[in-house]
Amino acid sequence: MNPKKTYLILLIIIFGFALQPAKGELTEEEISPIRYEIWVELDDVNKMLHGEEDIFWVNRTKDEIQDMWFHLYYNAFKNEQSTVFQESRGDKLLGIKVKDDEWGWIDVTSIRLGDGRDLTPTIEFVPHDNPMHPEDQTVMRILLPEPLMPGEQVHLKIEFQAKIPRTILRSGYYQDSYFIAQWFPKPGVYEEGKGWNCHEYHLSSEFYADFADFTVHITIPSHFVVGASGKQIKAVRNEIAKNVHYTFAQENIHDFAWTADPDFIKVERNFIADKEIREREYEEVARKLGLPVEDVKLPNVKMILLIEPEHKKQIERHFKALKMAIKYYGLWYGPYPYETITMVDPPFRTGSGGMEYPTLFTAGTGILTSKKVLSPEGVIIHEFGHGYWYGLCANNEFEEAWLDEGINTYSTGKVTAKAYGPSAIPISINHIPATYFLNLPQHYDHEFDRILGIHVVELDPITTFSWKFYNIASYALNVYMRAATCLDTLERLVGEDLMLRILRTFQMQYRYKHPRTEDFIRIVNEVTGRDLNWFFDELFFSSLNFDYGISSLRSDEKKKHFKGVFELEGKKEKFTKQKVKELKAKEKKSGRKKTYVTEVLIRRFGEAKVGGDVSMKLKVTFEDGSEEVFYWDGQKRWEKLTFEKSAKAKFAQIDPDGIWLIDSNLTNNSFKRKSSKKGIRCFANKLLFWIQNCLHLVSTLS
Amino acid sequence: MSNLRLFIQGFITANRNVRMVIYLWFVNFLFSLMIITPFYLLLNKEFSRSLVGDTMTEKFDLTWLGDIVFKYRDIHEALLGWLAVGGIIYLLFHIFLNGGVIGRIVEQRERISLGNFFSDCGKFFWRFFRVFLISLIVYAFIIGVIYRLISSLFKLWTKNASVEWPLIISSNFKFLIMIILFYTTRMFFDYVRIRLVVEDSRRTIVATILNFSFIGKRFFKALFLYFLVGIAGIIFSLVYFGVSKILPSSASVVVIVFIWQQLYILSRMWVKILFFSTEYHFLTHHKASWV
Repeated sequence: MNPKKTYLILLIIIFGFALQPAKGELTEEEISPIRYEIWVELDDVNKMLHGEEDIFWVNRTKDEIQDMWFHLYYNAFKNEQSTVFQESRGDKLLGIKVKDDEWGWIDVTSIRLGDGRDLTPTIEFVPHDNPMHPEDQTVMRILLPEPLMPGEQVHLKIEFQAKIPRTILRSGYYQDSYFIAQWFPKPGVYEEGKGWNCHEYHLSSEFYADFADFTVHITIPSHFVVGASGKQIKAVRNEIAKNVHYTFAQENIHDFAWTADPDFIKVERNFIADKEIREREYEEVARKLGLPVEDVKLPNVKMILLIEPEHKKQIERHFKALKMAIKYYGLWYGPYPYETITMVDPPFRTGSGGMEYPTLFTAGTGILTSKKVLSPEGVIIHEFGHGYWYGLCANNEFEEAWLDEGINTYSTGKVTAKAYGPSAIPISINHIPATYFLNLPQHYDHEFDRILGIHVVELDPITTFSWKFYNIASYALNVYMRAATCLDTLERLVGEDLMLRILRTFQMQYRYKHPRTEDFIRIVNEVTGRDLNWFFDELFFSSLNFDYGISSLRSDEKKKHFKGVFELEGKKEKFTKQKVKELKAKEKKSGRKKTYVTEVLIRRFGEAKVGGDVSMKLKVTFEDGSEEVFYWDGQKRWEKLTFEKSAKAKFAQIDPDGIWLIDSNLTNNSFKRKSSKKGIRCFANKLLFWIQNCLHLVSTLS
Repeated sequence: MSNLRLFIQGFITANRNVRMVIYLWFVNFLFSLMIITPFYLLLNKEFSRSLVGDTMTEKFDLTWLGDIVFKYRDIHEALLGWLAVGGIIYLLFHIFLNGGVIGRIVEQRERISLGNFFSDCGKFFWRFFRVFLISLIVYAFIIGVIYRLISSLFKLWTKNASVEWPLIISSNFKFLIMIILFYTTRMFFDYVRIRLVVEDSRRTIVATILNFSFIGKRFFKALFLYFLVGIAGIIFSLVYFGVSKILPSSASVVVIVFIWQQLYILSRMWVKILFFSTEYHFLTHHKASWV
């Protein structure tokens, strides 16, 4: 933990500078190493982008740098030999058929130094990830004429042309609607001593880039409504050319996306912190975080919504969800530091729903929605949350996707539960929400996450590189749901308040930086004051199933009289069946209380185990209402426990406080001495009825 | 005679054959019990000793379902296979039962007994099995050719859609058309079966071909009658769901819920017999134009 930097950033926020992070207030390490100025023109007829880009890149390391590596993400859609298409087994996993005129690509037509020296001849494509896809052109390398020394800046002038693909992987066009993401040549991240971290575009991975200051000029036909990352600085209409020249700018972000559609309805609202948050709420959060109230105060934010006309009725729903997100993410994890947030309802069939970009995100809804299902609310909260986990704490999504997806899925669950409560499962039949006809059960996000997450436990560790997971499902369920469930487990283990402090500290300490898993673990250990490395070893770095349970519980009367021959005072005495019977009857008459021996067999069914100072709690409840608690270190495969009490056991519970949400079988966490079938009969009755109906339906074929 | 009168005649005939409703319900109940037995044993093994089992009396909870699906991940296929095999055997058994049902409707003068019911089941089984095979070809044609054709026509409309509405409308229209096609085909083969019983004929292909002319001449009348009976079925379903909503879900009323559910299944069996009865009267009413 580095409290100095945390306090520095907090001070900046308190004095209002954080609204627009400026270089002057940040440490040298935190100042964006890149400055972009991009001019781009949309050719609506040919679906082309014509661009020029000025890049100012500073070597903030101690290395002498010989070359520069760039992402050319659009080349993932150039042909079937790109890494994306190879990984999607042609187009099977992408689920689309690309027509001849729908491929996308980007060409760097010229790259020069600021002084005019031409570097274009040094361009080469350098696919390097394993497994190799030698024909991939999503990573470009150029050689610098002389090494870039520590602290030196290079100015590059790039000209490029890009063919926009028919929407694929959330970028492209459909008819005259555009979502333009990952569209410009973007340098990788230079890591001191290691070189360029610049992975190819993979099917199941997102992105990684350095913080930068962006100024982007977009020239576009005037009938389009435009939204983009950052703040709109100006819009100049050219009546002769029938276009508009927009300028957007934003400091300290690591990507820039924009969208254009003639049908967008643009609505602007303000998040007024004083109106949305009561003083009592500030005080409560400040108390939980152990911070002065002033430190948790939130700034106002301008909210911009671009929504399709057919979803006009859902404008309030969108804004309410966004306000909730700004409020709770802000209160819990730190103030939102930018002036604007743009929420885009992606145009029909642009397939760009539910995606995050700095200061802009796409939500996504349908015409027919249900109030019982938190959609689009869930996606709005989640994508806004990425502004924190990815946007501000900018982890490497290629290598450690769980750091944003997992933490954000966990955070989304917390915010959604606080703001809305549980939600029904989002099932639609022929585009009609199933809740219109069915009374679907309501669940919290953490319940859904657990149900899905446990299914991939044995496939991959959560920390696997994104494209190296067993399959796409393993990637998604591991980095989103399983990671979120592990974090929910961590919260139950360390307590809600400490978990809040962990995430707040992590967010504030790594704002505008690139944290790694080790950094998160370090923060966890520092904030809790405990060594929880084992927790991450067992649940994040391995693929071990966590399952503790009880396999038997019995209570028998303690035997006091035994049959056989015994040595009593040096003499052999025979205790016959009859004699024992008489002794028992005598004792019964005496009215003395019986003693029962209760035996519980607890087991570690899974490979994962608890460690450090943590042990598994066992609680046995007896028929007289008394309870016995025992703590087991959980290292061995099983443990037998015996209690002597004047009452029989009623039931036993392992983890009675429900800490281990990641336990893949919660059913075996309790064991009743007497079986009861009421519940089973109830459910079996429902099942029987549905099978009767299904069979009757089958018989219509007869 | 109007369709309404034919419907009433069918209604009277169906009520006269209530014993068959019990037979059909009993077979359905027995098969269902057989199918759920392994699931029940599995639930019993997992939940009878767990506190989670007690929560099953309350609302449905995905948590324990997720646990059990994960725990038994290696036998999913076996369980699905069990369901599929159970369904296929039930389907074949129903082909067998249809002979008894239609046979007894046609032989209205005789009192229904297990003996004469099953005698008809055996008598007509192979004829009805051949009808079933022919109907499968027709169903395959409807799904494989006609439905695809309709889908491609809708696709022409939706492929360049710029909003979601055409998709919503087309997918629901397609679903509706599919239902109508399916039940029209079913109605068509009901008449083939009734005709085979009435004529005591074994010539299934001939009966099928002749039925084209019979139905073709009075298609909408037949369809109207068919959907009239269908409405009776829908009314039963609405009543069932309406009452179910107000029934509490606690364990104490499980017997009442069970009885109510079984009454609903009985009503569906009765509607099945009502279909055959009204179709029989429709067929005999238009007997003159059979050939």
